[in-house]
Amino acid sequence: MNFPQNYVSQLMEKITTWARINSPWAIHFNSGSCNGCDIEILATLTPRYDIERFGIKLRGSPRHADVLICTGPVTRQARERLLRTYEQMPEPKFVVVVGSCGISGGVFQGCYNVVGHINEVLPVDAFIPGCPPRPEAIIDGIVKLLAHIQRGTRPALVIKPGVQEAA
Amino acid sequence: MTTETLLQRAGELLAPFAKGANNPETNRLDVQIAASDLPTAASALMNASWGYLAAITGMDLGTEANELEALYHFCEGAAVTTLRIHLPREGCPEIPSISDQIPAASFFERELGEMLGVTVVGTPDPTRLFLPDDWPVGIYPMRQDFKQEQAAAVEPDKTPERGWAGNKFIVPIGPQHPALKEPGHFEFSVDGEIITGARMRLGYVHRGIEKATEARNWIQNLYLLERICGICSHTHTSAYSQGVEKLAQVEVPERALAIRELVAGLERIHSHLLWLGVAAHEAGFDTLFMYSWRDRETVMNLLEELTGNRVNYSICVLGGVKHDIGAQHSVSIHKALDYLEERIRYYLDVATTDSGFLQRTRGIGMMSLEEAKRFGTLGPVARASGVKRDVRLDAPYGAYKRYPVSIITDDRGDMEARFVVRMKELLVTCFTIRTIVDNMPGGGIVTRFPRKIPAGETVSRVEAPRGEAFYYIKSGGGESPTRLKIRTPSICNWTSVLNKAVGHQLADVPMLIAGMDPCFSCNDRMVTVRRKSDSNTMTWSELREYGIKKYGPRK
Ligand code: SF4
Repeated sequence: MNFPQNYVSQLMEKITTWARINSPWAIHFNSGSCNGCDIEILATLTPRYDIERFGIKLRGSPRHADVLICTGPVTRQARERLLRTYEQMPEPKFVVVVGSCGISGGVFQGCYNVVGHINEVLPVDAFIPGCPPRPEAIIDGIVKLLAHIQRGTRPALVIKPGVQEAA
Repeated sequence: MTTETLLQRAGELLAPFAKGANNPETNRLDVQIAASDLPTAASALMNASWGYLAAITGMDLGTEANELEALYHFCEGAAVTTLRIHLPREGCPEIPSISDQIPAASFFERELGEMLGVTVVGTPDPTRLFLPDDWPVGIYPMRQDFKQEQAAAVEPDKTPERGWAGNKFIVPIGPQHPALKEPGHFEFSVDGEIITGARMRLGYVHRGIEKATEARNWIQNLYLLERICGICSHTHTSAYSQGVEKLAQVEVPERALAIRELVAGLERIHSHLLWLGVAAHEAGFDTLFMYSWRDRETVMNLLEELTGNRVNYSICVLGGVKHDIGAQHSVSIHKALDYLEERIRYYLDVATTDSGFLQRTRGIGMMSLEEAKRFGTLGPVARASGVKRDVRLDAPYGAYKRYPVSIITDDRGDMEARFVVRMKELLVTCFTIRTIVDNMPGGGIVTRFPRKIPAGETVSRVEAPRGEAFYYIKSGGGESPTRLKIRTPSICNWTSVLNKAVGHQLADVPMLIAGMDPCFSCNDRMVTVRRKSDSNTMTWSELREYGIKKYGPRK
């Protein structure tokens, strides 16, 4: 039999992508949010919304996680910890921002201890707007991200400010 | 005792120190004293069991007056006594600590020090609580001449001296930790499994909301303050509106007040059920977590039906409420409450009979009545230790005179009692909501409200699901507040957790923390695990390199 070149590695790639989109594990980091988004994220895990249908599980350790779910603007004290959490995640990793204040600073724009929104600190793959977004919207956002991962594209919105510079 | 007699008594107690006294409002007494008299004055109140320290407000009166003011608010029933101390703005203003008499003061004193640059002499822990570690020394955000550019300087890393650490073994928990849904950092020194000391660092979600209110107008602030905390958003808007309405001397329609109390009741149900789930999760009882969150969706539906939003309801406006409640709503409210009451009874049963659960709760985190009072605990934590303290009864505000609630206390003071108190409180709340819906007063729901608020200052207190929320609002007559001080219940309850943790097993820590239902976002408006100067740590770039080596380069 004649296998095309790289057959095995392509097959492996397919299997990992299949596994990844069928069971992405997530970690949640609150870098200064008001809790509103956090309780809605938690609500997506509970019976009514049941995000585990998509194999999504919230993990305690960044080393187990594929997706970093961020809420809130980035405060000065939390910035370094947010970066650290991000760097501890294995590649490939995806960042989802939940809530208006993570997207733009929201109501906390101009507060003295807020350094900015998430995209100024980390490269973001998906933004889920709302203050807070409904659990359905959060699920929708994550499912869209999964579709992108499956196609092997990253969502168009990504702006990479370069994590190196941020260091 | 009536409010008048209470104030009279406070006046007598403080008479030896008073440099001047007046009654800015009928329920308030304002006494000016010298900074050096503060500890004796505080002792005089404490020894006579007059109230508890509700908050310390630090204020900068500006470069013209060239003075700082520190206000120590004590509350007893509906009466509020304020000790007003003037401090020089220049040089290094000093004030003696009162943490010896009142342990709960220590957090407030740290805040006073870092926000206004007042040196609190003798405070047990002067390290930073709210501001970031790299915040420049000598820059105080609550000073009126503070400019954002001043904070740009980055302070070089300095590990705060951990005097108590010695050669003990320290277990750090947080800021990112599975047992915490919000970032806070704790250090527990342990001897084997037993905790011997505890410390805490907040500030990870400190955004600087108090300062931000000064740059926004009265109406914009409503939306900012709603986002102090997504769990008790209505508490903040109603406390704020209530205070501003008092300053503006605007009469709010009865119907609007009733709707506010109704939403507050629903918020309490959602908050307590949320807590029940989180606490059950900490106890390793995930089934209960899923159950209670499923039932919580019933309240979320109601809130959405009434206000259009699930979390930040935005129903309070200055001068009233935004949405009315109609007959169709009362049907769905009754129906939802029928279901909830049945479920709450079931949870009460689980919390008191499930043997696995009881092992994690019975006798854990015992706090006696005296301790609860001394640590200045509030809300359900205090009531579970038998402290009869509830603003809804002590100083009925809004519609609470019309629809009173009954107070639930328990004298066992352990984790189990905290579960029982909260669940019983829910039953009471359900009852009150039904009464409100059936006896809704008629009339409008909102009145006209001025853009500018007359100069003055007021105190507004509201019972949040976690305990008393305390607002001090000062207007200079303009379109935005001159000073807004927010003291939320969680910060008062931390003292008790840190003190009670000592002697417990490390494994009990999540339960102890969960027991007070902490809410970081409202505290913060809060030790790196190890700072870079320590030899056993990795710098950020080292860690990054290590990560890249381990997992391969970025694809
Ligand atoms: S987006 Fe809104 S609800 Fe979410 S954390 Fe920010 S302020 Fe809170």
